[in-house]
Amino acid sequence: MSSIGTGYDLSSSTYSLDGRIFQVEYAMKAVDNSGLCIGLRAKDGIVLAISKLVHSKLLVPKSNKRIASVDQHIGMVCPGLIADGKALIKRARAEAQNYKDNFRMPISGKMIADRMGQFVQAYTLYSSVRPFGCSTLIATYDSVGPSLYMIDPSGVYWGYFGCAVGKNKQIAKAEIEKLKLNELTSRQAVMEVARIMYSVMEDDIKDRDYEIEYTWICDESDKKHVEVPSDLIEEAERKAKESLDDDDDDDMDDE
Amino acid sequence: MNTYPNPFSEAISYQRMEQYDQEHLESLSNISPMTRTQQPIVTGTSVLAVKYKDGIMMTTDCLASYGSLARFKNIERMIKVGNSTIIGASGDMSDFQYITYLMDKLMTKEYNANNGQPLAPENIYEYLSQVMYQRRNKFDPLWNALVVGGYQDGKSFLGYVNLRGTTYQSDTIATGYGAYIAQPLLRNAVEKKNGELFTEEEAKKLLDDCMRVLFYRDARSLNKLQRATVTAAGVTISEPYSLETEWGFAEHIRGYGA
Amino acid sequence: MISEPIPTAQPARQMANRFDPYEDNGGTTMALAGEDFCIVAADTRQSDGYHINCRYAPKAHQLSDKTVIGTSGFYADGICLVKRIKQRMEWYYHQHDKVMSTPALAQLLSVMLYQKRFFPYYCFTILGGLDEEGKGCVFDYDSVGNVERVKYQAEGSGKELLQPFLDSQIGLKNRATDDVLDLTEEKAIKIVKDAFSSVTERDIHTGDCVEIYIIRKDGIECEKYPLKRD
Repeated sequence: MSSIGTGYDLSSSTYSLDGRIFQVEYAMKAVDNSGLCIGLRAKDGIVLAISKLVHSKLLVPKSNKRIASVDQHIGMVCPGLIADGKALIKRARAEAQNYKDNFRMPISGKMIADRMGQFVQAYTLYSSVRPFGCSTLIATYDSVGPSLYMIDPSGVYWGYFGCAVGKNKQIAKAEIEKLKLNELTSRQAVMEVARIMYSVMEDDIKDRDYEIEYTWICDESDKKHVEVPSDLIEEAERKAKESLDDDDDDDMDDE
Repeated sequence: MNTYPNPFSEAISYQRMEQYDQEHLESLSNISPMTRTQQPIVTGTSVLAVKYKDGIMMTTDCLASYGSLARFKNIERMIKVGNSTIIGASGDMSDFQYITYLMDKLMTKEYNANNGQPLAPENIYEYLSQVMYQRRNKFDPLWNALVVGGYQDGKSFLGYVNLRGTTYQSDTIATGYGAYIAQPLLRNAVEKKNGELFTEEEAKKLLDDCMRVLFYRDARSLNKLQRATVTAAGVTISEPYSLETEWGFAEHIRGYGA
Repeated sequence: MISEPIPTAQPARQMANRFDPYEDNGGTTMALAGEDFCIVAADTRQSDGYHINCRYAPKAHQLSDKTVIGTSGFYADGICLVKRIKQRMEWYYHQHDKVMSTPALAQLLSVMLYQKRFFPYYCFTILGGLDEEGKGCVFDYDSVGNVERVKYQAEGSGKELLQPFLDSQIGLKNRATDDVLDLTEEKAIKIVKDAFSSVTERDIHTGDCVEIYIIRKDGIECEKYPLKRD
């Protein structure tokens, strides 16, 4: 980071001497501060989850949702700066409706990911704007089946089997890589997501108020993006906590 | 007032002005005011609907006519909006498809809002009525007579709205030719029940009987129809089916070229 | 030099059938003012030509504790007008922290109708209620906002039948003797019921039921009186 402080990080419209755009990289740092967000593509659907700190006891439980629907078949979550995420969701809804206005059919996952990628990328070109301080996970279920995309603050996007964004994303990614996502059902994926969430965030959140939001879009949900049924969440979280206790016990035994 | 000589007077050609005037006026005489939907083109005939014990039952046939031509014989004239409302349409089918699009747009917005308060049939009906009335105010009507049926929280809803934004709610509704032929039959059946509601079987039979009469008498109808219900269980729109008809009497008709 | 006469623009070809934005849904409304009460009544039938659309489509609407409006003619315009008035009353309430009085409403209504002078609300409106002194008042309108304060009035499809009857029974017109009218509430309601029963007999657009709003200083009461349904 030798070039930091030499003036090349003040605008995203200028490259640094070694060809980087620092403003975009800073935006990625903003994303890293977010609560952990996981997306898994199982064989019959997608599961999205995000953990968030509840910063005030005065908030109504389960209010201030972070995962949003863009159309019936599209779910979206933007870990990072919340307000930036809201702007992206608004844009995505406009894109989805605009596509319908023109073609009278729902937009495909590939198209919405591409249009949002272009939109995000445009905010890395000008000195008058700031890149989006959030990554974007898009879960869709269309004619080609379930797909999961993630867009960087740089505008780059890829399709994923599984991805993790935010605090401790490296550990979460390592856990995700162990899964056989092609064989997992969405129900099983919910279990795995909860397990990973709890095992990863345990350390820094333990004593603080937090909530985890789960949504899915799968055959069971009729290919619609909806919240995961509460009984399934309860079961998944119970099992996740149990496995944590088991680990603790194991640790004790080791000692 | 002083007048100054026009320095360009030489350049003005009255001949050309005259020619311009002539062309301009000719082109003016050929244009007419901007035209909007002045008449329906591809049309659907009657929609019938009644309240019954479990909710709403509605029937339409599957025909879209082009004038007197039976142009499209496999058209759906009822749409599901949300989980507790159906809309049935007579009149212009392209306008109805636009209404279908508007409903999808409205419901997508509601879906995204995810506020746990689904739009009630009354809300959808009000929205639709306002759209119809606003379009008539613009002299650009959606050329339809629509029936909105719904069932939510144990309450039945049945409403009508047409291309002028006229609205009413009633236990029986029939549009188009059905307003002449079926509505009296429907009202008669209701009044015979003395305040009691039809059972599902009674409602089915009543609507089928009305559709049969309409098929006999309405030249723009088809013996291929669909039946929709809205109940606590949600919305169902049946596959197309046909009614038994009896044409034996035709043999005995004398006169009229027979 | 102009050699030939310039042809004038021809009027645009007449459209074969232009969209007619109006419908006549019929219906009769009336109102009469007593000393300290007012009555507004409207039948509930909605018709379209020879069709009866619906036997209960209310045409009289309560606007406040002191005012009731009745509209007949084109139902959609009537509903729109009432909706807009209610909106304006709410704005008035929030701005001035009081409910709009009947005479104020009467003036507003006239303005709102006249604003659509060149694409009128095709409805015949009567506004009835109590004025600021607690006296019964009736305002009668045409479709473009002409307004007149009267003692009693009939409007809508049955007004030609109804108005002469009211002239006789309430206005006491053309009497040989000097009758004095002591218009009590009971008497007024009786007259209204008789009036609507009679109109229903001869006007096909009126019938099914009449809603009679009785406006008193301590509140409004609505009485439903069945009419013939034929």
